[in-house]
Amino acid sequence: MKKFDEVNIGDTLGPLELTVSKDQCRAYAKAAGFGEIAGRFTDEAAAKKEGLPGIILPGNMSLGLLSKLVTDWIGFGGARLIRLGTTYRVPVQPDHAMTIHGFVTNTNPDDRTAEIDVWIENEEAERLVTGTATVEFPQ
Amino acid sequence: MSTTLDLHTHSEASEDSRAPVEAYLNWIKLRRAERPLDGIVLTEHRQFNRAADYRHLEDKFGIMVLRASEVETNYGHMLVFGVNDDMLARFDFSNIRLDAQTVIDEVARMGGIVVPCHPGRPNIGLYEHYESKPSLENVVAVEALNGGSRKGEDARADELIAKYGYASTGGSDSHLVSLIGLCATRFAADIKDLEGLVRELKTGAYEAVDFRPRRKVVPHAVAVETR
Repeated sequence: MKKFDEVNIGDTLGPLELTVSKDQCRAYAKAAGFGEIAGRFTDEAAAKKEGLPGIILPGNMSLGLLSKLVTDWIGFGGARLIRLGTTYRVPVQPDHAMTIHGFVTNTNPDDRTAEIDVWIENEEAERLVTGTATVEFPQ
Repeated sequence: MSTTLDLHTHSEASEDSRAPVEAYLNWIKLRRAERPLDGIVLTEHRQFNRAADYRHLEDKFGIMVLRASEVETNYGHMLVFGVNDDMLARFDFSNIRLDAQTVIDEVARMGGIVVPCHPGRPNIGLYEHYESKPSLENVVAVEALNGGSRKGEDARADELIAKYGYASTGGSDSHLVSLIGLCATRFAADIKDLEGLVRELKTGAYEAVDFRPRRKVVPHAVAVETR
């Protein structure tokens, strides 16, 4: 359980190292209702036809992975992830190792919030998806 | 005495950044051992905020905060240093189709200097434009190191530098607080203000420096559990 008084600028979240398989990507797209309308998440040929290197992760799936980094860090205790904004710079590909990073960059005692930088990197240390999150801590 | 500046940064004044200037300076203070910066230059996209005043933050943190702009041209994105009223009257910085040669020549005539940034980046970098158009004249320097470069982009910048003899700058191109200062420019001279920066950029007496951490290869990727 993370408490506001224990949070400091410079604190590290993760890194979380993982690989999402193509089957997991397809399953997510199907569950989210994307599979029928966007082959780029489920079908290699359809993705390449769009000029992509192959199947890519849905943006919401990347968003979910970034939010997992933050909510795992928060733990259970009343703190809430109240905002997560992202920029999609490079498509995230399944079956490639990725690392998810986070740093606390600011804290605000007035509203008991913390600002956090988050991003997903590939094996080449290229930042694929970047973002910022705000966590609110209870009194 | 030398001066190390991150010449390419974006604060929350740019539409695609949420980084407050104060948070940048706080982060530099925190990480000064690994990113020894004397200052940063804010290069907001397609704008120049002449009213912005960061002197109180400079005093608070002991870090220089200078202002420039990143404009968009028919040869890609370029950093404009030494922005003044004459330049703002001459050019619409929000125009994404500025003529690069005109900007370079006119900015120089009005006392500033233009540095093409991330030249190796597809579509918005000089390298790709040089493949289909004549090379630009009167370019003194290009951004050799960009903190947001993908694999191969900095190498393409190096090709341009070797071929045309450009001087090399570095900048983080930071849009997130924690990425400030990943790349920077080390000047031989002591720089105290914008006039000094512009003067030194024209001399070519500087080098791009890389403070990006060397990453280990991810050894054992673990698959996400499926349900």
